Amino acid sequence: MSLDTHHGGRGGGAQTDVEEIVAVADRVRGAMETVIGGKPEVLRLTLTVLLAEGHLLIEDVPGVGKTMLAKALGRAVDCSVQRVQFTPDLLPSDITGVSVYHQDRHEFEFNPGPVFANIVLGDEINRASPKTQAALLECMAERQVSVDGRTHALERPFMVVATQNPADMKGTYALPEAQRDRFMARVSVGYPAPQAELDMIDSHGARSPLDALAPVTDAVRIRDLADKVAAVHVAPGVRRYIVDLVNATRTSPELRLGASPRATLHLVRAARAYAALHGRHYVLPDDVQALAVPVLAHRLLPGPEAQTRRRTPEQIVAGLVAHLPVPGPR
Amino acid sequence: MPLASLLCLAMALPLLSPFVRGGTWWVPAFVMMAAVAGVSALYRSPGRNAFPVPFLQALAVLALVTPLFAGHLAPLGLLPTKDVVAHLGTTLEQGAHTIDVSAPPVSASSGVMLIIALCLALFMMAADFLAVTARCPGMVGVLLLTLMAVPLVLDGSGVGPLPAIACAGGFLVLLAVDAWVRGREWGMRVPDAHDSSAGVSEAVRRVVTVSLTSAVAVLLALTVPLALPSLRTDVFHTLADGTYIGTGGDVITTTHPLVSLRRDLASSSDRTVLTYRTDAEEPDYLRTYVLDEFDGVNWTMTPVNASNDTRVDGELPLPTGWGSAPSEDTVTTRISLDAESPRMDFLPLPYWARSVEVSGEWYADPGSHVVFSTNSPPTGLSFTVESVDRRPTTEELADTGDPRSLPGDHRDLPRDLDPRVRELTEALTEQARTPYERAMALQEYFTGGSFTYDLAPPAVPGDADPLVHFLLEDRIGYCEQFAGAMAVMARQAGIPARVAVGYTAGERMGDGRWAVSVGDAHAWPELYFEGAGWVRFEPTPASSAGQGSASVPDYARGEREGGPVSPGTVPEEPEVVPTETARTPEGNEEPAAEEERSPSPSGDEEPEDETDSSVAASEHGPRSGADLSWLPAASAVAIGLLLLVLPALVRALVRWSRMAALSTDDARAAHIAWRELRDTFLDLGGTWTSTESPRAAAERMARGGPVPERSGSRSTGPMSGSARRPVSRETVAALGRLALAEEAARYAPAPLPSEGLREDLRTARAGLVSVVGTGARARAVLLPRSLAPWRRPRPSPTPEPLTS
Repeated sequence: MSLDTHHGGRGGGAQTDVEEIVAVADRVRGAMETVIGGKPEVLRLTLTVLLAEGHLLIEDVPGVGKTMLAKALGRAVDCSVQRVQFTPDLLPSDITGVSVYHQDRHEFEFNPGPVFANIVLGDEINRASPKTQAALLECMAERQVSVDGRTHALERPFMVVATQNPADMKGTYALPEAQRDRFMARVSVGYPAPQAELDMIDSHGARSPLDALAPVTDAVRIRDLADKVAAVHVAPGVRRYIVDLVNATRTSPELRLGASPRATLHLVRAARAYAALHGRHYVLPDDVQALAVPVLAHRLLPGPEAQTRRRTPEQIVAGLVAHLPVPGPR
Repeated sequence: MPLASLLCLAMALPLLSPFVRGGTWWVPAFVMMAAVAGVSALYRSPGRNAFPVPFLQALAVLALVTPLFAGHLAPLGLLPTKDVVAHLGTTLEQGAHTIDVSAPPVSASSGVMLIIALCLALFMMAADFLAVTARCPGMVGVLLLTLMAVPLVLDGSGVGPLPAIACAGGFLVLLAVDAWVRGREWGMRVPDAHDSSAGVSEAVRRVVTVSLTSAVAVLLALTVPLALPSLRTDVFHTLADGTYIGTGGDVITTTHPLVSLRRDLASSSDRTVLTYRTDAEEPDYLRTYVLDEFDGVNWTMTPVNASNDTRVDGELPLPTGWGSAPSEDTVTTRISLDAESPRMDFLPLPYWARSVEVSGEWYADPGSHVVFSTNSPPTGLSFTVESVDRRPTTEELADTGDPRSLPGDHRDLPRDLDPRVRELTEALTEQARTPYERAMALQEYFTGGSFTYDLAPPAVPGDADPLVHFLLEDRIGYCEQFAGAMAVMARQAGIPARVAVGYTAGERMGDGRWAVSVGDAHAWPELYFEGAGWVRFEPTPASSAGQGSASVPDYARGEREGGPVSPGTVPEEPEVVPTETARTPEGNEEPAAEEERSPSPSGDEEPEDETDSSVAASEHGPRSGADLSWLPAASAVAIGLLLLVLPALVRALVRWSRMAALSTDDARAAHIAWRELRDTFLDLGGTWTSTESPRAAAERMARGGPVPERSGSRSTGPMSGSARRPVSRETVAALGRLALAEEAARYAPAPLPSEGLREDLRTARAGLVSVVGTGARARAVLLPRSLAPWRRPRPSPTPEPLTS
């Protein structure tokens, strides 16, 4: 059953904005699906984070298409894409860029690093040293780079897609909570369904479908749409619902560390984008529920009791969502 | 939570303290309650399933009974052996007996303590279930009300302010703890914005709502009981073969006098009811009840009061109309009630009994001088009564004028009394000048021969006034009709009158004792004369053609006969019984009279089951009984039917008003439609949680209909519900539109237009109804679950298995 019935003219301008968002998002999604098949939820979440101007953390085992996902996104949106392979010897300046002294002109010139792009793919981010991680994460939060006392603003849209491999933890520096908190959402791609994997053999057989991927929109358009997403209505009841949910993670006896106020803001922004992607100009509790796990779970630390009972933060958040009453009639 | 409910109930304990003597009665009760609460708290703390809790609690109570109440018998003070069980049984029995026979406060014997402790342990289990398992701590208030009702039922003194405050305080603590526990699980809700004026007006609105609701509740509690018929005239009470007697004081239940009288008369046995030994030559009648209110058909008893002032300890109050207590002619009578007979709540006593020595608790009514008990006295009771046998002489009575000194009006007659009764009375008393002469004229009318004594009188036609019918038409009846009719006519003639019920003097046995049998049950009028008090008359024919053992007092014998001629003899009739028979009721005609009475036709059996409370002046044909008895039964059936369809009516009313309100403002219409959909779904057996958004709820309804989902099937999606009937496509679409309207009304800046909601609601309702079975449909109509507040959604208290 689909409830995504569009309103007939009632939303006014907001509704036409939303329809534009849906149209663009459908095109981007269609393009990406030629590369990443059978993962509509992952694609939807990726688009949500893109429109909400957040950063995405993809956590999964190798080979499931983490990098492919990020690349496909970069291709489908006609914008600059940079890729950084994180290794233990990577330095902060390898990301942010360096100032180079020009002897002929007797001055320093700033050579922008790979972070100066619309979409930055940080592969295996947990392999870099904490110092380097910190440099990237600072850029993520502040959307600017400070080198030698000069500040260089990053272009909008700016989205970091970082991947990490949870299985092979040898020689890695796990991201501390404070840095995980800067990612708006965390997804795991997961193995494809058998049918999708069969299709994949065909499509990826001769050459990468990435090469055939033509851009369907551009950075300016995305920037414009992101501004429109910010206008999506969040009813007072839904705001309270979000705060209640975040509060519940802080008071839950199963969690050692709850979600931060930044998580609240991320959740609201993501919910706006998610609602817009579904053609609505207002946020439903359902949007919040659908986003609660990807937006909140990676920021939480389970308490000792939950650890002994092998309850993951995902399960705990889902339990909280299942028990929080949705906002009723005004 | 369990400890909070323990605290709550413990604070209600002082409510019971006025009823138990001794300070330590609550100790075992408290130990048991603490054990019950402790078991609950310990077992639940690791978050286990609550199902075995009541059983564990019951085990704990059983384990505690032995050490607390039979520790000296049991090995190690714990193990329940056979002796222990037997001892507990007897203790329990003793306790029950103590509570039965004594008025509060009862002494705190171990039996009483055991009963109290067990009851309170049961209460505690119920409270634990309500507050912790069911998570409805408000319902514990019902238990507290039950506890509070105990003092209200036991005596009229009510509840003291301190125990009441303690009880209410405990309840509030319980509610507060519940709110706190919920808050800790969830984190407090973020309060509404304070700074805005909307927040202030919201707070004001809440305060006003709460105060208004409380005010209306208090007002209803005060006024509704006034408007309702009081208990003792309530039709429900007359349905039982017993009636409530008593106001203000203790409410006592007793077999109704007249019902039992008729049963006695109708019974074929000449079983002895009581025997007595007296030093009087010619003992007087024994009075049991006095009926002093006449409503046009029946003579009934004014409620009697049992209070500490009227308790019998030796002396009885002086009868009305006597100047001082006379000391002459004291008669001592020792009465033994038959052990086989049913227990009597009213003592049969001669008039006027100056003092009674009797065991147990008895109360004397100062107006009617009946002596009664509030708790069932043992059978086979023996008691000694000292009475004054003061019978006025004819001259004394002849001199009396109009009664003035009588408190209360015993001359009341119903306004709509048939005028022919007045005409007849006036015709009979035309010649009489004094009240005494009028009384004699009336008595003579009955004993003059035109009336026939028959224990099974023919039926009264349905439309006839039984009194008029007896007086003017068939003139057939027995003592009740005679006594009742004469009392009515005496009142008509200006003489205060009432009907006394009891036994005649009975029959003298060989060893000097007197025996009163079932057949000696009798009713007679008592008339009041200034200076002489209440005086007995005898309109019922005596002898074998009448009440065999009836005797006419000297003052009531006609003077014209010139001697001791029994008014029971009728000059015109040949089968006149010799005077001696009437004077010596113990004569050998008695068996004959009994025999005549014994083959009472089966028609007279009927009054035993008769639901009508009392009929005295009327006839008791089967017809008249039937006329009256169908009414309460029919109204009971009608009320039962009404109660049966009441939920359906309320539900239909709610639905109707919601349907009517659908055409209003957009957002409200969507809310109303959604609420109606929710209630329909609940009625049909579905479940509803407040954690589900409209969209999710609609999807669930569309998936499975109102069949409760099993927890396992929820995550596996639509394929799992293969056993269910599919919900039709139109229904799914209607559900979707309703959910969309509701979520827009809740969360969007502007709601959707409300047109089409009504049709969608109808479609959704029909679709949901069509997928459930007939049983569920019938239940949805007759017992709509949506009316039950506990079915309404509220946050579930414990984590459920996850769906991820």
